[in-house]
Amino acid sequence: MRTVVHAGPKPERAARPRRGRTVAVEVLVCGSRDRGDDGAPIAASQLLDGSLPSDVAVRIVGMLDVDDLLSIPPGAGVVIVDAATGIDRGVIVDLPLGGLIGRAEGIHPRSSHALTLPEVVGLADMMRGRPLRGRIVAIGGSHFGLGESFSRPVAGALHELSAAILDAVGRVRPSTDPGGGG
Amino acid sequence: MHDMAAFGGGSGDLTVDIAGLTRVEGEGSLRLRVRDGAVEEAHLEIFEAPRYFEQLVVGRTPDEVIDIVARICGICPVAYQMTAVHAFEHGLGIQVEPGIRALRRLLYCGEWIESHALHVYLLHLPDFMGYASALELAQDHRSAVEAGLTLKKAGNRIVELIGGRAIHPVSVRVGGFSRAFRRGELTALQPLLVEALEIALKTVDLVAGLQPPDFHRDARLVALRHPDEYPMNEGRIVSTDGLDIAATDWRTEFHESQVTWSHALQSRDLADRPYLLGPASRLTLAADTLHPLAAAALARTGLADEIRTNPYRSIVARAIEIVDATAEAIDIIEAHQPPDRAATPWRPGPASAAWATEAPRGLIFHAYELDERGLVRTAQIVPPTSQNQAGIEADLTSFAPRVLDLPKDQATLRIEQLIRSYDPCISCATHFLRLDVEDAG
Repeated sequence: MRTVVHAGPKPERAARPRRGRTVAVEVLVCGSRDRGDDGAPIAASQLLDGSLPSDVAVRIVGMLDVDDLLSIPPGAGVVIVDAATGIDRGVIVDLPLGGLIGRAEGIHPRSSHALTLPEVVGLADMMRGRPLRGRIVAIGGSHFGLGESFSRPVAGALHELSAAILDAVGRVRPSTDPGGGG
Repeated sequence: MHDMAAFGGGSGDLTVDIAGLTRVEGEGSLRLRVRDGAVEEAHLEIFEAPRYFEQLVVGRTPDEVIDIVARICGICPVAYQMTAVHAFEHGLGIQVEPGIRALRRLLYCGEWIESHALHVYLLHLPDFMGYASALELAQDHRSAVEAGLTLKKAGNRIVELIGGRAIHPVSVRVGGFSRAFRRGELTALQPLLVEALEIALKTVDLVAGLQPPDFHRDARLVALRHPDEYPMNEGRIVSTDGLDIAATDWRTEFHESQVTWSHALQSRDLADRPYLLGPASRLTLAADTLHPLAAAALARTGLADEIRTNPYRSIVARAIEIVDATAEAIDIIEAHQPPDRAATPWRPGPASAAWATEAPRGLIFHAYELDERGLVRTAQIVPPTSQNQAGIEADLTSFAPRVLDLPKDQATLRIEQLIRSYDPCISCATHFLRLDVEDAG
């Protein structure tokens, strides 16, 4: 687990998938805008526009489903962004997907209720026949009730979260991370 | 994850604290105490934060409400949309075209397939096969999990097309849909649905062969019943003990109350009796309206009576309903004639609006009062899990003494498996706690 301490660059425009280009990394953004801290991944992803390479696609998936991971193009990597409990509010963690199973005890991503995130990732790996190259970036939250406002620590960490996503994308892209992003 | 599972006492005593129920949607726990063979406490505790949707929709238009209530649940959003839209249309006297009615049923079929496939293969099957999770199951039975994912994908595709997106669909409008659907869009789903139907039929054979715990009870089962079709969007509320009321009249027979151990309101009938909803209730009360392929599949199992009395057989009921929903989806698409318009025009105005439909987990009831401008003045939303909660606790009370002699891991498995038999959707159950209730607590 890596705790992100320092805020990174603050992109100004919203991130969009680049259609018609080979996708090297998909950023799967989980959460719901109207459920407090659960909307932080979406807000942070919107800060990314202009700072992502053209071969990176951002997709808001809400609840992460096995299908979302099965649709990642062959050879591409993935960065999953989610809010989580079990981490202090506003604290950001960046975990390799490969190390998620068995290592994420106590961290409960919000977007996969019925199946745990390790189960979703594990099932996708099994169905794909090989492990996905990727990372999960999660921000600790505490307020998941109805409403679009964030808890104060989460609101203060949105730019950090955005920077952490960017950092994770850099680690997962094949040209910069031949080791497979962990 | 079991944060804690503790057992204590001698013969006739049992204590189970499961702080985090697994393979259910949302966050809940179980507190069970048995002393000298008698259950002292059987509480299904729902502690997920309440979400106040009933307050949020006040002052909104009916179309806004339809979009808002879809966000109550990521697994069964269509149930909320369908119940709300039918309530408004009934209250406002709006007639929709037959083609729209069929498309709404198709949309609901998609949600049933998706939700039931998730539950049968990824949540409940591991219990019966002796695995702790779907992931472990997949390691030894990859084809079973692949079958479940294919079924789920078929349901997802229907919801994605008709609902506009797979999670929290957006296309349903009072009077119809936000757009018309071309025939080609629908027929493109057929190959996947045909594959899904084949898998669904095999699924029935698979789950019918599973050995459930020997537990039978005579619970009060409640569901919608329609004379001509398996209940989804329309029908009367009926029960195994002779209840027969209009879908609008839920409140004449049932009521909600607060219990100290749960953030969810519980529902009982006016005599304070618990009751149970869901696939087993629907099959018990409406099996004669199943699609012929589903009816034949049910007959092959020979389990119709056992589905009524043994809650662990609900997995068979869900499998039968996957066949029903898939076969009907194929039929609807084959017969589809695009309606003349995407939605029937209507005018806002005052109304008392109420309706019940059948969510994957059972009957769901909505009631709204609309003011002179056609805005919501009051709302009541009663999801199936909150209605089932008291019935689940009653079943736990009956069942717990039977596992006293089992090793603790087996006892825990059987008890959790019983809860999972009802496919509780805890996120749904907590959406409606009223502000004054929380303030009082």
